[in-house]
Parts: sequence; structure tokens; C-alpha cells
Amino acid sequence: MKPFLRICLILSILLTSGCWDRTEINDLAFITGTAFDLTEKGEYLLSLQFAVPTSSDGGGTGEPQQKFFVLSATGKNANEAFEKIQKKNSRKLFTAHRSVILIGESLGRHGINDVLDVFSHDPRQRLKTYIMVVKGGEAQEVLQTRYPFDQVPMEAVKEMEIQRAEIATSLRDFFLAASSPGVYPMMGVIEAVSEGSNPSNKTNMFKLSGAAVFKDLKLVGLLDGFEADGLNWANSHMKDGRINAELPEGIGNVGMVVVRASRMIKSDLRGDRIHFKIILHGKGTLIENNTDLDVSVPKNLTLVQHALEKSAEKQIHNAILKLQKQFKADAIGLGRELYRNKPTEWKAVQKEWDQKFAEAEVTVDVKLTIGGAGMAGPPLQLNAEEILK
Amino acid sequence: MKRFRKWLRAEPRHTSLPEKLHSEDDENVELTMDLNQNERTFRDIFKNCFDINFRKISLAGQERQLVIFIASLVNEEIIDDHILHPMLVNGIDKEAENEQYDAEALDNSVISAGSTKRSSNVNEIVRQLLDGHAAILTGSDNKAVLVKANGIKQRSLEEPSSEPVIRGPRDGFIESLSTNVGLLRGRLKTSRLKTEAVTIGSLSQTQVVLTYITGIASEALIDEVRERVKRIRIDAILDSGYIEEFIEDLPYSPFPQVHNTERPDVVTGELLEGKIAILVDNSPIALIVPMTFWTGLQASEDYYVRWPIATFVRWIRFLFLFIAIFAPSLYVAVTTFHQEMIPTNLVLSIASSREAVPFPALFEALSMEIVFEALREAGIRLPKQIGQAISIVGALVIGQAAVQAGIISAPVVIIVSITGIATFAIPRYSFASGVRLLRFPILFLAGTLGLYGIVLGFLCIVLHVASLRSFGVPYLTPLGPVTVTSLKDVLIRVPVWARGKRPGAAGTSDSVRVPAGQKPSPFREDRERN
Repeated sequence: MKPFLRICLILSILLTSGCWDRTEINDLAFITGTAFDLTEKGEYLLSLQFAVPTSSDGGGTGEPQQKFFVLSATGKNANEAFEKIQKKNSRKLFTAHRSVILIGESLGRHGINDVLDVFSHDPRQRLKTYIMVVKGGEAQEVLQTRYPFDQVPMEAVKEMEIQRAEIATSLRDFFLAASSPGVYPMMGVIEAVSEGSNPSNKTNMFKLSGAAVFKDLKLVGLLDGFEADGLNWANSHMKDGRINAELPEGIGNVGMVVVRASRMIKSDLRGDRIHFKIILHGKGTLIENNTDLDVSVPKNLTLVQHALEKSAEKQIHNAILKLQKQFKADAIGLGRELYRNKPTEWKAVQKEWDQKFAEAEVTVDVKLTIGGAGMAGPPLQLNAEEILK
Repeated sequence: MKRFRKWLRAEPRHTSLPEKLHSEDDENVELTMDLNQNERTFRDIFKNCFDINFRKISLAGQERQLVIFIASLVNEEIIDDHILHPMLVNGIDKEAENEQYDAEALDNSVISAGSTKRSSNVNEIVRQLLDGHAAILTGSDNKAVLVKANGIKQRSLEEPSSEPVIRGPRDGFIESLSTNVGLLRGRLKTSRLKTEAVTIGSLSQTQVVLTYITGIASEALIDEVRERVKRIRIDAILDSGYIEEFIEDLPYSPFPQVHNTERPDVVTGELLEGKIAILVDNSPIALIVPMTFWTGLQASEDYYVRWPIATFVRWIRFLFLFIAIFAPSLYVAVTTFHQEMIPTNLVLSIASSREAVPFPALFEALSMEIVFEALREAGIRLPKQIGQAISIVGALVIGQAAVQAGIISAPVVIIVSITGIATFAIPRYSFASGVRLLRFPILFLAGTLGLYGIVLGFLCIVLHVASLRSFGVPYLTPLGPVTVTSLKDVLIRVPVWARGKRPGAAGTSDSVRVPAGQKPSPFREDRERN
């Protein structure tokens, strides 16, 4: 090949391909959180939280710089509102670092179909972004909250979600659940609260508070934190959880941390009623013993274990009951279980699944393995005579 | 490209200097029986040379012998003690017998120096005179005795400054060829260590010595090297670098294809692996061929420290090689094209440090790299006394001041420093220089095409290295064409007792280096019994 031609070909690689969309990092506005609300006129209110890149050693004197700010705009759809915010911003909006999408409760009840689609179409969105419902009030209030720990408050929300203390749903999880048969999506719920004893100087905070159940992309009900914990396990999403139980005869209470949990669902069709058996295995250690029992004695440990199992069963069962009776929404995927294992039966009940689910009989069976009684058998503060062997 | 090549190959317009000189010499001038005429011949040849000495020995009023030597090249003690003294003492005895020595008698029974020869060819004698011999002409013969009396002052053996080690031998080559060969012979006391001498350079007449171990180095390779070295025609060789440029396979490559070292132990190690070393007079740097990619990443000390440490250090070097080529480019590509790839907190802190910086990241990185190169170069060339000043100014300029002034962002300074450290972690200087050179095109690609550009550049480098050969040996051997048994000295450094056979390059009878079964273990009685 002639050298001249060779050079031309190499140059053509440089000139005709590749990313000519070079943007310096300081020409980007990093969106860390997005909130969607419904205005009274029925339009969508989009709020974006931007991180303000500030150097940590900036001067030292003077007031601490604001680490973030929020811009809002209304529009008929997300794209329109986004465009309006871009016009307010000197830098290019950059969505890839967004960690949380917040949905106002009112918008949730109205239906989130119109705001969701933008996340699946635009390639610059991350499906790993967490999506949450803001309980009571507007979603943008949470965006405005100053959180003392992290540079940007929404990073804190992300960290909270990563801990999986409660139901954590990413866009991907949500889309998966919404599009698959026999299961309804859930989302984490966040709430703006104020903390602190001094009423004039309260810190604005937010806290995770339960889960939201969606049906046909409409919010149908909220579960509180206790119920959500139970569902988390039943959904086999639990990373670690705590169980507390009151022992019979008023001896006291015990608490344990579950570090490994698994779930199994057995279904059984007897005539018209469907019977589900949810078997949950948990492994963990006892961390609190407010009784006089010496838990290093096997007999006592069994007693404690049974109490804990009972307590967990009740917690989970109550949550499922709420789903069945109140929301008539199968958010733990019992229908999906049926769809996978008994396809022909599923076809028969598919159409009226909501009703069938509400009527189904669900039993919860928790089996705990207490791996250790902690560092001491009986509470250390008791003397030998007080301890029950 | 064509024009460039033409220009490179262009013949000088005039007849080349070496040939002209050559034609002036008349090859076949012989000595005569007449001592005076011979003296005139040599005086004519060495006209206007202040350091040529003609020492006449006349006995009984008759000029009998003439000793010619170049004072600046010889050790006068040898002349005095081993030539003049015996000649005068014996001459008096002979005088009594009224006889005269011919060349043979002089050589055999008078001269007490170790290395002598006889010649009647004037050109040959001139050549030997210029090589530090003394010529003894006698009136009764047309032959001259040539006595080796070299005595140029040499520096003493020192620790090689370019390849220091913590553990290992500390002697290094010097500018004297015979000393250097001696250093090798001292390490390999075998007659199989061959030292073939070739004289190159029409004016410099530089001795170039090919050394190898017969039976270990392959004959084909020896022939090829000999062929390439003998082909060289030049007026003078000032350093082995001249030879390297003549014999390498692909002159346009940034990677060196000839390994060079200042350390005799490195040369010995390579000879034992079937390679060929080229020693050049007046150069303390020996050349070793063929070279592979991996030799560029191996230090002699790898073989002197315990093997787990050596293996770890090798992997560190692989890592730093990658960093040395790609670190600045990755930074530029990721911050200007792929901001989504950086963790959120990091992207925010990078963004905050770039807030006040007016230049694009590519320009920042490029300018800092160039400043760093300038600092490095200045540090080498400056006299040692001023060297410190450079490091202080450098640290201030490319460190704190540039960041505080808001001209350069702090991450770029960190990246450039890491890259600098990484290039210094590559043990072979010539290899590291090549790597340093590659950084700039890759940086430019990264700044225009992002990660895509880096991948393109990486592919180009891999293709180039994979197709490169050094004296017929693929550059990536033994990973290029995979030779599993040889990998034990590339990806890891096996213990000495597990070394086993020589690496595949040597194709010979003598292939076992370390016989098997020498793994050390505590003394056990059952072993004794077996």
C-alpha cells in the first residue's frame, strides 16, 4: 500500500469516528437527585439537585459554601421540564451520576407512567438509580434537605439504600417487576423529618419509612417500616435484619441479628383456594438477652429460638395479610412463583389473579439457626443465683 | 515517506572519506635491510606527531637497533624494563662477540615482554604502533619485532552508575576492552567462552569483540551477528551505541532490539542463556543480542534476591509499565469523555479541583508531561552540584505553585508524578525511554477519541511489539509464540534450583542448566537411607 494512502486511512479513523463530544469535567452539571411532583394544574414538576463542586480547602474563612442547589421546572412531560432546567443552567446537565429518583406521593397515586419512560429510553440514564416514593408532601422537599454527613444529600440516600435496611428498588428492579407476570413492584419510601430537641434549631433530615406498593404503575398503598422489613425477607431481598421477641410468661425479651436469609415458596392448589407456604431460613446470632436465662444452655436457646421464630412469622404474616386484604396486590411475587412452576394452573387464574391472591391461604414458616449466643450466656450484670439454668 | 527514506539513504556527493584514506595507503610497502631508510619511512609517516619516539641504540659507534613507539599510548616502564634494558645489557655481550641480532633472535632471547610478534609490512607495523605496540627495527634484518606495551591510563573499576543494585556484584565495565573481556573470563573459566575480534572504523580501528559460549549459542545466530557487524563501514566508532544502530532489525521502532548493559554479571547471565554479547573498545556498555520485550523489564538483581520477592517485583513492573504508558491518557479520556465511569464522589472532587483551571485536560496533561521530561533531562545533564537546585525548582513549579496559581489541577500533578515514578520503575533505561516516547501519541489519541483512542493506541502497540523481531527471535518470546517452559522466567522468577533447562532460544546439546532434584529440604534420615 502506498504510504500516502496509509496515512489517509489512519487519519480517517481519527476524523470520522470516535467521540468528538469532548466535554471538560467543569462544564458539566452533575445531577445527583431528581424529584417528580404533580402540580395542581396537572403538569409535572421536575426538580433536579445539582452538586456544586467545591474545593475542601477553599479559603477557610467565610461561610461554608453551599454544596448543592435545586432547580425546578414544570412541563407536560419529563423532557419538556428537563429542557427548561437546562436553560436555567450554564453547564450541561449530566445524568449519569444521579443516584436517586424521588416520586411525590400524590404523583404516585396519579400514576407514574408518563415520567418513567424517559429513564428507559435515554441511554444516559442509569438503571442502577434508586427510585423511591416520598411519603406525605412534595418530593422536592427531600431534595432541598441539608444532610450533614455527605457532600450531597442524595448520596446519603443512596448509601441508606445500599445498606438494604428496608426495601430498596432500583429502576431496573422496578421495570423488571412491573413488566413480569404475577408480581407487582414495590418501592422504598422516604420521608422528610426534623430531628433535634431544640425546636427553634431543628435539623432537617430524612428517613426511610417502609415501602410503597404499585399496581398498574399507580401507588395503591404504603407499608410502614415494620411491615416492610417482613416483606423484605419474604421477597428474599434481605441482607441483614433484626428480630425481636417477647418470651412467654413475661420472662423478658431477646433480640437477634439475621445475617443470612433464604426463602422458598411452595404452592398447592386445592380446589378453588390456593395455598402458599413460604419457608424462610435464617441464620444469625443472638445479640440481646433481657431475661434471666442462661442462653448457653441448649434448652434455653431452643426456647429463645422458638419465640423468635413465632415473632418473625407473625410480623411477615401480618404484612402479607395487609397486601392481600387491603391492597389486593401481590407484591411478593406469589403469582410469579406459580407462573414459573405451574404454568397451566397459572393460566387458569391469571386473569383474576388479584382476587385469587386476596383469597389465597398463605402460611409462613420461619426456621432460625442461632449460630451463637453472643459473648456471654447469661447477662453479665446478674449474679450466679439470679440466673435461670 | 519515500523522500524521507531517500534522504536517509542518500550517498554523499563526494567520494566518502574512509575510502579516500584507504586508497592513499599503499598496502605492500616492506621494510628494507637499511635501518636509516626504514627510519626515514616511519618519520615520514608520523610527520608532525609530537608523541612519536625513535630510540636508537648504537653500540661501538654503530647504529644497531631502532625502537619506535608512541609515547602517549605505551607504558614507558615496559619499554625501559623489558625492551631497552635487556637489549642494552645483552647487546654489550654480543658486541664482544661482534655479532648482531636479527629479529628472531631479538624476539626469542632478548625481549622479556609477554606479547610479541614479527612483521615486515610497514602498514602492519604502523597499525600496531597506533595500537600501543613498540616496534624494534634492527639493521641486520628486514623484519621488525612488535612488542605489546599498552599503557593508556584507564579509570578503575567502579559500581555501574546506571544499573545500581543492592545485592549483587558491584563491578562494572570500563572503557578498556581487555579489562572488560577479563571481567567476563573471570566469571566463565572455560575455553568455550569465545571472543572473536573484528576491527571496525577506517580511522578509529576500533576493536569489536563478539563473545559467546560455543555449544550454548546457536551457530546460525553467531553467523548472523558476525555478518551484521562485519558489514559496518564507518570512519570511527565512539561507543557501542553506533554498533547498535547498525545491527538492529527495525530502526523505526521505539523499542530497543539490542540489549545494553554496564554489568559483566548481566552479560554472563545472558551468555549462559545462549545470547551473544558485543563488547566495543572504549565503551563501558556491552550489547547483547537478541533482546526480548521481557529483558526490558528484568533487572540483574531479580536473580540475586529470593524468588518470591523477585516475582512480586516483576509483577509490579508489569503494572508500572502499563501505568507509564497509559495513566495520563486514561485520566484525560475519562475526565473529558467518560465522566460516568468515575465514582460520584471522585468525580465531584476532580471537578472541584478543576473549577479554576482554564485549560482543557489534554493540554494540562501534555504540558505537565513535557515539563516533567524537561526536568528529567535537565537533571541528567547538569553538573551534580547544580542538580539539587533543579529538583527544588521542579518540585515547586510542577508541584504546589502550579496548583495554587490555578493553572494546573492537582489530580494532573498526581497523575504525572505517578507516571514519572512508573517510568523510573522500568529497570532498563533504553527500554524505559521507548516507553516514555509512546506516552505522547497515546495521550493525544485519548484527548481526541477518548477510551476508543486508547484502545486503538494499545492495539497498535501490541501489533507492533508482536511483529517485532530481534535477530530472528520474536520480541515477545516466550509469550509471543508460547513456550511454556520458558515462561518460568518471564511471568514469575522460579527458584534457582527449579530452573532446569535453558530458555528455548538456545538450541543446543548443552541444555540443562540446573539438574533436577535439588530442592532444599531439612535433613531427613529416610532420605539418607534411600
